[in-house]
Amino acid sequence: MPALNALYAKYKESASFFVVYIGEAHPSDAWQLPSNITDKVVYSAPADFKQRSELADICVVKLGIRLPAVVDRFDDATETAYSGWPDRLYVIDADGRIAYKSKPGPFGFKPADLEAALMRALARPMASRLPS
Amino acid sequence: MSRVRIAAAGAGILGFLYGMFLVAVFGVMQQPPQRFGQIMRHVPMPLMAIVPFESMWNSARGGHLRVGDQAPDFTLPRSDKSGDVTLSSLRGKPVVLVFGSYT
Repeated sequence: MPALNALYAKYKESASFFVVYIGEAHPSDAWQLPSNITDKVVYSAPADFKQRSELADICVVKLGIRLPAVVDRFDDATETAYSGWPDRLYVIDADGRIAYKSKPGPFGFKPADLEAALMRALARPMASRLPS
Repeated sequence: MSRVRIAAAGAGILGFLYGMFLVAVFGVMQQPPQRFGQIMRHVPMPLMAIVPFESMWNSARGGHLRVGDQAPDFTLPRSDKSGDVTLSSLRGKPVVLVFGSYT
């Protein structure tokens, strides 16, 4: 998360950034990891949208996330469309097309690759502004 | 039956069982997140050590979006309840999306 906060600080004027808070990866009532117990990150899966929204708030504060965050619908519509679970990074270009899609987390969570893709997207002019 | 043939048959059976196990794990990885978690909680972790987890995971959770595709639009509430964000209203600048959760 510190790496993403740094990217946000560096590029927030030239790009939009959003954390999309989705269903928990390792809730205590499913596949909980020993490391989460050590770190005292023990939460059961939210039962409705209100609980999900509250846990999203806790997540943003506890992880020190400076990026703006949005909360996925309780039917996971956005997660499903983007295959975002358990975590995944995207860059969408100025024309609304996918410019970078990371591999699924935890293995695919590579902020350096994200930054390289973002720099490429920033260097490319919008298709709609190109002379035809 | 010679010892060599018994050993070969044993290796064949083990290989077959391992293959079936990998197919089963891949099938579980393709389940929706909640169901995947409910199944994995019952799987002893040492068993996962004999699975090429990362490459199978990357494939099972590859998804269907490709670079160059139109990004699916969404309108979602901000976590600080200060309003909604609609992806398609952000055209003109690149957008970085970070999917994730707390645990």
